[in-house]
Amino acid sequence: MSRRILIVDDEDDIREVAQMSLEMVAGWEVIAAGSGEEGLRLAARHRPDAILLDVMMPGMDGPATALRLRADPETAGIPVILLTAKVQPADRRRFEGLAVAGVLAKPFDPMELANQVSSTLGWPG
Amino acid sequence: MSSAPPRVLVAGFPDGVASFLARQLRGATVETAADAGAACAELARGEWSLLLLDGEIPGGGADGVLRAGAPAPPTFLCLPRGGGAPRADLQALGVTRTFFHPLDRQALVREAAAVLGTPSASRPAAEPGAHPAAEGKADALADAVRQAWERFRGPVTARVDAIEAAAIALLEGGLDEETRRHAEREAHKLAGSVGTFGFAQGSRLAREVETLLQGSAPLGQAEALRLSDAAVALRRELARPPSPSTAPPPRARPAAERPEGEPAAPPRPLPLLLVVDADAELAERIAMEASGRGMRARVAVDVAGARVAVAEERPAAVLLDLALDREDTGTLALLADLSSHAPRVPVLVLTARSSFADRVEVARMGGVGFLQKPVAPATVVDAVEGVLQRGRQGRASVLAVDDDPLILHAVETLLTPAGVEVHTLGDPLRFWEALEEACPDAVLLDIDMPRVSGIELCRVMRNDTRWSATPVIFLTARTEAETVQRVFAEGADDYVAKPFVGPELVTRVTNRLERVQLHRALADSDPLTGVANRRRSDELMAQLVHLAVRNRQPFSLALLDLDHFKQVNDRHGHAVGDEVLRRVARLLERAFRAEDVVARWGGEEFVVGMYGMDKDDGVQRMADLLEQVRAEPFDLPGAEPLRVTFSAGIAQFPVDGADLQALYRVADATLYQAKEAGRDRVLPAGWTAERPDAAEQVDVLVVEDDHALARLLLHALETRGYGARWMEDGREAADALTGSRPRLRARVVLLDVDLPGMDGHAVLRALARDRVLERTNVIVLTVRAHEAEVVQALEEGAFDHVSKPFSVPILLQRIRRAMKM
Repeated sequence: MSRRILIVDDEDDIREVAQMSLEMVAGWEVIAAGSGEEGLRLAARHRPDAILLDVMMPGMDGPATALRLRADPETAGIPVILLTAKVQPADRRRFEGLAVAGVLAKPFDPMELANQVSSTLGWPG
Repeated sequence: MSSAPPRVLVAGFPDGVASFLARQLRGATVETAADAGAACAELARGEWSLLLLDGEIPGGGADGVLRAGAPAPPTFLCLPRGGGAPRADLQALGVTRTFFHPLDRQALVREAAAVLGTPSASRPAAEPGAHPAAEGKADALADAVRQAWERFRGPVTARVDAIEAAAIALLEGGLDEETRRHAEREAHKLAGSVGTFGFAQGSRLAREVETLLQGSAPLGQAEALRLSDAAVALRRELARPPSPSTAPPPRARPAAERPEGEPAAPPRPLPLLLVVDADAELAERIAMEASGRGMRARVAVDVAGARVAVAEERPAAVLLDLALDREDTGTLALLADLSSHAPRVPVLVLTARSSFADRVEVARMGGVGFLQKPVAPATVVDAVEGVLQRGRQGRASVLAVDDDPLILHAVETLLTPAGVEVHTLGDPLRFWEALEEACPDAVLLDIDMPRVSGIELCRVMRNDTRWSATPVIFLTARTEAETVQRVFAEGADDYVAKPFVGPELVTRVTNRLERVQLHRALADSDPLTGVANRRRSDELMAQLVHLAVRNRQPFSLALLDLDHFKQVNDRHGHAVGDEVLRRVARLLERAFRAEDVVARWGGEEFVVGMYGMDKDDGVQRMADLLEQVRAEPFDLPGAEPLRVTFSAGIAQFPVDGADLQALYRVADATLYQAKEAGRDRVLPAGWTAERPDAAEQVDVLVVEDDHALARLLLHALETRGYGARWMEDGREAADALTGSRPRLRARVVLLDVDLPGMDGHAVLRALARDRVLERTNVIVLTVRAHEAEVVQALEEGAFDHVSKPFSVPILLQRIRRAMKM
């Protein structure tokens, strides 16, 4: 089934590999944004089926972006998966308040990312 | 068709669209413009084959760009869906095709390829006979990731600069908050990214740096050296080709006679570790540690979740918390299931309780290991690595010799699925070579072969100590009592009658192999670390020396001994000491190749036999490992991380010793020298300390007024056994090196150009005047890219130059080269 995914990450290298990985392994359409602000704009415009959101970004970071997505009725229903290189206990509590669909660890394996996203969201592999 | 590649301008879209097009349109150059102004400027500047323009481009909208008056290339315009009535004027403005958001990328690629006349890489479905979907995708993705790494290697590696800067600031006693946070952020980014490109170890190193810099605890000189070691290790890691897995590549055994064109085995996916623990946080931390070390990890917080996970994909190993439910019935049942169904999944049990009864129960249920909580994630993952390693080593191999290719094919077909690696040989005259190359755990021999019979082959094996204990199984069509008696008399272990039936051959061979392995596991490996023991290493090294002679290859032997190990045991207890030994053994196994031998000789002494390596190469590899060990302290629950170093001596066959005994003696004496010289270093045999005669002789003289940099360099040089001296003043260096009876002789001088008093150029000229340059090579250190200065230095007689800031490994490489000239 064709899906559309929005990936939001300020690091060009990671954004590009994630995009390739989802396009090539799962055949999904991928939209990429380099900042939280751009992510909000593209989410409203393209209505993706899910959003992969990096936690640590300059400016509006991942959790802040997730909150804004949640607050906008246009995007509130889109499941959000956080991507993070580290889970501190304090962060974990912060993530819990965001009602995100899941948290995936960085670095990710490009071969596995699409599977991880599918299984986090309960999509049939 | 024009010869220049077609050029596509993508204006007003997120970067992803451009990179997608660049990948999909082969041979086209794709560039981007963020806003209308940039788009107009680009259009006016060059010849474009296609413009892809977003209708809502910032800075004036699409109309401004379309009306700008530049000769417009064919243009695709992308508009919001339902954005009002169709516009009639678009065609007049050069728009050849209109798309709507959300962009249909496949249609875009098709249309663009048609306009440009380029092949599109899109949709492999269009190519008949393409790869089977899954494998093709994985290969294509792996390629794409490799290409992406080529593009990002520079900027990503540059992040290490921030860590190095923090190390240097710290050495100078002035690490300010901003530098520290910047380095922490860069380390965080490295930790989160490089693993994705195939540098799991790099992610792990970066995470350690991040942890070290976190918080606001004051940092000292020890942390500075750790940071600098980690930066060096990171640079080295990122300079090597990425590997999708940290597991050592499978040894390419030269199969004696494998049919041509047999497809290589598909790359194995990373091993999956299932962590079953009600403590989600601990589980998550373990999972992260594991994913940083080349495994995939999955977490389940209860038995039901674990069963679902196992049903979906059988893990390579399971970590199971025994305290999951009060009665433990579900957990123990899961444990029993995992261990009883083939293929058996090794289960490591984590528990906060440590009663003897638990251990017995766990062992009875088939658990392979027992870890007592609280325990550091790194320790848990070490144990998992150990278990997986055992599984890998457990793969047994046989060499089957028969002149009938059908029989060989049958043997291979039957035994391979049973987990046995099969080497086949059709020409018995090549038996000896094949035997040495394959080093099989058992040999299958046909009795009747042209020129040489199986019985004769068996006899020569039995007469050679290396093969006298290897099981031999005969394949024979003759089962009369006389023949059977004869094969046993020649030393056969078993025979199988031809034509054989599958189950019989498999059972007989695997029985034999299991016994061999059990015997070997007990007799040949060091029980604490799992690496070879002394007896086994003697055997293996004798084989390597034999091969080295035959193939005219060098062979080097390293003896290494942990520094101050007794203190580790005294201060932290033997359990920690054992853990350190296991970890070092694991690092050694990871650092050396399958054709090398790694063994523990008891105590804290390890020996490594390196095939095809001279001792200088050996010193470099061992010093790399030392830096890695230094950079990765051992986490101790509730205590400061433990820093471990070792000393090593390396001797080369046959220049330092004509047989193994002599090599051992020389390596041992060299190890002693390394300890005497201050420990924490690797020395080659024949190394001489600076002689106290009239002229002091050193390998490297560092003339540098930057104290922090000089200290870093001396540390790296001493690790490699170079005799090094440091002077911070140009005049002092020139005075010491010149004159009729110079006080100091150096093979290589590292000379900073900017020195107080007498600068680098003046020093060089003084050395040239005095003919010092005839025996000393000078490497000039310049500040980034002052070309005139470099040219001047080379004209003045410098051997080489390196510009600052430089990476330590690169400088070391240049020093080695200067040393050899």
